[in-house]
Amino acid sequence: MTEEEVPSWGEIARKHGRFLYNVAYRLTGNDDDAQDLVQEVLLRVRKGLERYQPGSMEGWLSRIATNAFLDDVRRRRRRPLDLLPEEPESVIPPSRSADADFEAGALSEDVQAALRRLPPDYRSAVVLSDVVGFTYQEISDALGVPIGTVRSRLHRGRALLREALR
Amino acid sequence: MTEHLGDLLSALLDGELAPSMAATARAHVEACPACSGELEDVRTARSWVRGLPPAEPPAGFYERMLREEPPGVLRPVRTASTRKKVLAFAGSAAAAVALVSVAAPRQSPVSPSVNRMVEAHATGASLSSDPLSRLAPLGVPVSFRR
Repeated sequence: MTEEEVPSWGEIARKHGRFLYNVAYRLTGNDDDAQDLVQEVLLRVRKGLERYQPGSMEGWLSRIATNAFLDDVRRRRRRPLDLLPEEPESVIPPSRSADADFEAGALSEDVQAALRRLPPDYRSAVVLSDVVGFTYQEISDALGVPIGTVRSRLHRGRALLREALR
Repeated sequence: MTEHLGDLLSALLDGELAPSMAATARAHVEACPACSGELEDVRTARSWVRGLPPAEPPAGFYERMLREEPPGVLRPVRTASTRKKVLAFAGSAAAAVALVSVAAPRQSPVSPSVNRMVEAHATGASLSSDPLSRLAPLGVPVSFRR
């Protein structure tokens, strides 16, 4: 059986660049970190650190991006001086009086701000599920954690989002 | 199932429960206001995230991606002559910080971003350790590369 060759970065950039940037942005929460994350994905692809899995290119890129993101989170945690994201944290928006009114149109900036405040493990699960569209099994495979862990992180992440914008 | 469902509610919402489990869970939700409310909460949060429009990359993003430059392209090549030049140029940590504190434009190809590298290496900068390894990621001017 012949192995499929890894597509060139140019192909990936043209067809999936916007998708990859979106995933990176939802994970990191700001433009500069998102671009750095995209570069890191490029590095890992070029180094062949990630075995290419023929099938969904966007799924493959999402796995690499999420693991690179979490690696970076772990690396930063080891440093005594934690670097803050370059965008200022948004103020938690005032609670709305009409719940139904609010549900109809939560401002995407508010949702993104709340997403950025989620702990990274919860944020990854939410992004892989609700931005990328992975099944629990796919998230489990991507992160190397049991499905029960995926389920609890996702559920907790969603509950925190709802609470943050209540 | 008389206990509250907890994260099984998300599994129910996402169609990740086996049919018999799902039926039991639904029956519980119908009879339990707390779980019913929690189900609506996670349904709402999921719809918010699903409803996010794709983030727009900043100007120059695609050009940088398509250029296919590997990250750290401005790192100097460490030959003997280069090393001397680098050490002569950047004689102190303060000078190095001053060099790179010129605001990096958004279009800068340096990755990771210069501001972050300044912070990371300024705090750890030491003249007693190998200056080259400390200064290398800060983007030594092109003229110092072989």
